[in-house]
Amino acid sequence: MRYKWYVPYLFILPAMIGLFVFRLGPIFFAISMAFTDWSPFGSPSFIGLENFIDLFTSPDFWRILLNTLLFSGIFVPSIVIFSLLLAVLLNQGLKGTTVFRVMYFAPVVTSTVAVGIVWKWIFSSDVGAVNFILRSLGISNPPSWLSDGKYALMVVAFVFAWKRVGYYMIIYLAGLQDIPKTFVEAAMIDGASKFKVFRYITLPLITPTMFFVMIMSLIDSFRNFEIIYTMTRGGPGIASTTLSYYVFQNAFELFQMGYASSIAVMLLLIVGTITLVNFIYRSKWVKYQY
Amino acid sequence: MKRKKTSKVIIYLIMILISIIMIFPFYWMIVTSFQPLKAVYKYPPEFIPSEPTFNNYKVIFGKYNFLRYTINSLFVATTAAFGQLFTCSLAGFAFARMKFVGKEIFFGLLLATMMVPIEVVIIPEFLLMNALGWIDTYLPLIVPSFLVGSTGTFLMRSFYENVPRELEEAAVIDGAGPFRVYWNVFLPLSRSSLSALFIISFLINWNAMLRPLIYLNDQKKFTLPLALISFMGEYSAQWNYLLAGAVVSVLPIFVVYVIMQRQFIEGITSTGLKG
Repeated sequence: MRYKWYVPYLFILPAMIGLFVFRLGPIFFAISMAFTDWSPFGSPSFIGLENFIDLFTSPDFWRILLNTLLFSGIFVPSIVIFSLLLAVLLNQGLKGTTVFRVMYFAPVVTSTVAVGIVWKWIFSSDVGAVNFILRSLGISNPPSWLSDGKYALMVVAFVFAWKRVGYYMIIYLAGLQDIPKTFVEAAMIDGASKFKVFRYITLPLITPTMFFVMIMSLIDSFRNFEIIYTMTRGGPGIASTTLSYYVFQNAFELFQMGYASSIAVMLLLIVGTITLVNFIYRSKWVKYQY
Repeated sequence: MKRKKTSKVIIYLIMILISIIMIFPFYWMIVTSFQPLKAVYKYPPEFIPSEPTFNNYKVIFGKYNFLRYTINSLFVATTAAFGQLFTCSLAGFAFARMKFVGKEIFFGLLLATMMVPIEVVIIPEFLLMNALGWIDTYLPLIVPSFLVGSTGTFLMRSFYENVPRELEEAAVIDGAGPFRVYWNVFLPLSRSSLSALFIISFLINWNAMLRPLIYLNDQKKFTLPLALISFMGEYSAQWNYLLAGAVVSVLPIFVVYVIMQRQFIEGITSTGLKG
């Protein structure tokens, strides 16, 4: 439809203000800030690569990077497997499926803060429900979970997976429902068992969805600030500090805005690379078409 | 036939087992919120409260002002969500139905920034808000959510692309200008997409914690998640109050979620937004 030339620009104006003022502008600003020494109350000074040199030579940074990858390493496989399991169960078309779906999806709509608080309570060392169950099973000295550096990160990653699994379940469900029923029926008539149908028909046909879930949950796994802030504040020590928590801590607790920006740039590089790889290889990795 | 029945039973058993893991934290949240403090620290824990009390709720609404935080959250989330509808439906309409120079570039930029984590942009944003003198107001919580709408724009554009041409042409022949076409023809048609978008942005802003945490100082202005966080810092041992507060923050969402579960689930997954 033809309208006057300026009309489209009026329509996209609010969204463009949002894009340039609150997205693109800040991204470029954050990148330039990474090369400065900047406290919010003083004036910034250009210091070249010093922030990055400090970062790469600090043992804390490597530990935190490792924590970040470990968090993803727990979160992503749990999501890829368990959300598929839930979706397959819900896809059996049994009575009451809606009720189960509502229950499995419930953590997705709940605030991360509320989720973090209740799980912190469940995992509390003395009177928590988890340790009560472990003690009743005969484990006399259960770990103190969130205050134990060995377990804190794992527990938080588990809780985050618990919160997000319902979301990816729905994505899988859509993928499962796209598989033509005739394929399954034909295999059943040929006498294939339910397991065989799953292994040789459902699983290969669901690989594109699985790939999508993998990439999305990988990006999702870096957005862990809120759950970590609520459950451990990065502790004990830095045992559960991840990149996104470290950005917050340096910027808003230590007020090292320049240094914090250099960490944010690292986060941007990681997420950007994943998005790019996804964009380029998407068509190559998707094997099956029907 | 018999094999079919047993496999059905097994599937139900697995589904119920998973439901317990998914639902127990909510159950435990509610149970603890009705317990007096001494019962909270009882060992073994009481999985069914022996002397339930409303006292925790009286305390958090009386002494700790949770009604105020609820109203604050409601205000912020509603305003931000209406902003999303405004921004995204306008932009979605233009991207779907109009030709203009730079369209592909602008749309590509919107999509490219979709995946950028908030932690990357939050520091410059904070400095901007500080320079504008917006710290400790609701503006930093509302204005960015009002105007930043990549996913929402994407959602509205996909809907508007499928509206038949004839509807638009008929309105134009009747003498309607572009804004009238948008307002009288397209907006009413997209009611279901708009309500999905409203639900998602309301939910995101209702649950948000990072922005309130860095922008709000005055306790009276706190939103529910921030109030819970600050409450947790001050009274970390009083799980009964804390969990009553958590129930208050979750309950309004849950009531609407259970009634409109289909719209919730479809809305959240169709836009790929984080709840």
